Amino acid sequence: MQWVTLLVCGGLAAARAPSALRGENRSMFGILLLMTLAILLSMQAPYVAIDQVLGGHNVTNLILRFIIFGAIFLVGIRVARGFAADGALRLITGWAGVVAIVLAGVAVIVTFLLMDTPGSSAGLTSVAAKDGRNAALVEYYGAAGRLYPSYISLVLLPAMVRVFRSRLPVLIRAAALLLSVGAVAIALSLLFPIIPRGMGILRFIVNYTAVLCYVLGLALIWLDKLRSHPLARLRGTHPAAAAPD
Amino acid sequence: MPLPAKAFQHWLHSVAPAMSTADICRISGVKRTTLAQQLVRGKVAEATLVSISRALGLNPLDGLATFESYAGLTGPSRPPTPAELVSQIATPDLLRAVIARTAPAGTAVLALSPAPHATSVRNWVDAIDDGDLRHRVSAATGIAPQNFSAQLTANRLTPELAMATSRAAGVGFTGGLVATGLLTEAEAGWRPDARQAALDALSTGELALLAGDRLQALGRTLRRQEQEQAQTEKIWENLG
Repeated sequence: MQWVTLLVCGGLAAARAPSALRGENRSMFGILLLMTLAILLSMQAPYVAIDQVLGGHNVTNLILRFIIFGAIFLVGIRVARGFAADGALRLITGWAGVVAIVLAGVAVIVTFLLMDTPGSSAGLTSVAAKDGRNAALVEYYGAAGRLYPSYISLVLLPAMVRVFRSRLPVLIRAAALLLSVGAVAIALSLLFPIIPRGMGILRFIVNYTAVLCYVLGLALIWLDKLRSHPLARLRGTHPAAAAPD
Repeated sequence: MPLPAKAFQHWLHSVAPAMSTADICRISGVKRTTLAQQLVRGKVAEATLVSISRALGLNPLDGLATFESYAGLTGPSRPPTPAELVSQIATPDLLRAVIARTAPAGTAVLALSPAPHATSVRNWVDAIDDGDLRHRVSAATGIAPQNFSAQLTANRLTPELAMATSRAAGVGFTGGLVATGLLTEAEAGWRPDARQAALDALSTGELALLAGDRLQALGRTLRRQEQEQAQTEKIWENLG
């Protein structure tokens, strides 16, 4: 499932590269790139390789948290604007949003500094294995990292549901449904600390469901746009073709 | 409920005893896979029978009348009411009629475009609605009122519902079948000039009010479409 997610996300980012080069919606390309990077960093092999370069203190995991914050912030703004959710936009970019990201950021950094971090391992599994104190800290650290994404998801959920129930084109509604499922999955991840240890697979599924739903939802909207404006693409690549008038 | 396959095959055998299914499909333009699927499922669409009847040079109304659920169509049919006839005139034609009536003499009167038109189903139901029709249809057929409304908005109505609606309104059965486009006016036994005559019988005031209602409904529909288009474009712009 990790690989599927990585492939889907990376593939979409690559598919969008040409249009980003033409200057169309560059921030969507950026979002997909950040998401691909985030997935890459949550996989063992690439994580360890990069963290070794950065000194083997798991600083990469901290960076990963902030990459996720950045991606989710950008997605949040885009979705709120696209779905005409002015209230949600204010909650993201207004003081409430600033408080949320600062709180989550401070919580992540503080718990990280309290941990005994040396020893690269994705998901900080080797750190958690050191002793009970570190295990608890990793748990808190993870919860702090999910705080901000959950906040953004919950803020956007009403607008997503509203678009899903509207009479807009079917692809847009399907996209809104996927985004809603992704948002619910992210919000559910807040409940991870109360999931028993043996159910680790459940966390895994919820995490990747969230990312896949978000990415596929955005892809559907792109598809709907391409389907309705097949000429826009042509005009972009051949400026001369648009010249006759 | 569409036509039962068994009864349909019985009918087909009686009207075209010597023809193979392949021949029937070739002359009627019904896709072979479509017909085969309908027969396998045991339910044949009314539109299939209509296409085949037309290809054989038969009146589809007579074909339909041989089926139990359309038994109401047998015998001399009750003619459509003037309101039903006017409801089957397209909005642009109505607006043109207003202009022709109120403009100084000499404006050419154009022939009406044939039924059905872009909003003919809703206009037909509105024309026969005494205020309580939708509830009676939903009580008689079990369809939820919002599903019935959704069909009207999409300018669709299943033949079965069209029949039930006629029955609940106490009007002849052909109005709904013409409004939904299943039958042409001629096939339904309407006089060629029936709609024009009903239009001419309206006073100028009635005509202007009716055209005004239609124009308002058209305006609302267009407004909604424009708003939805604007929303869609905003989504594309931000997320596409």
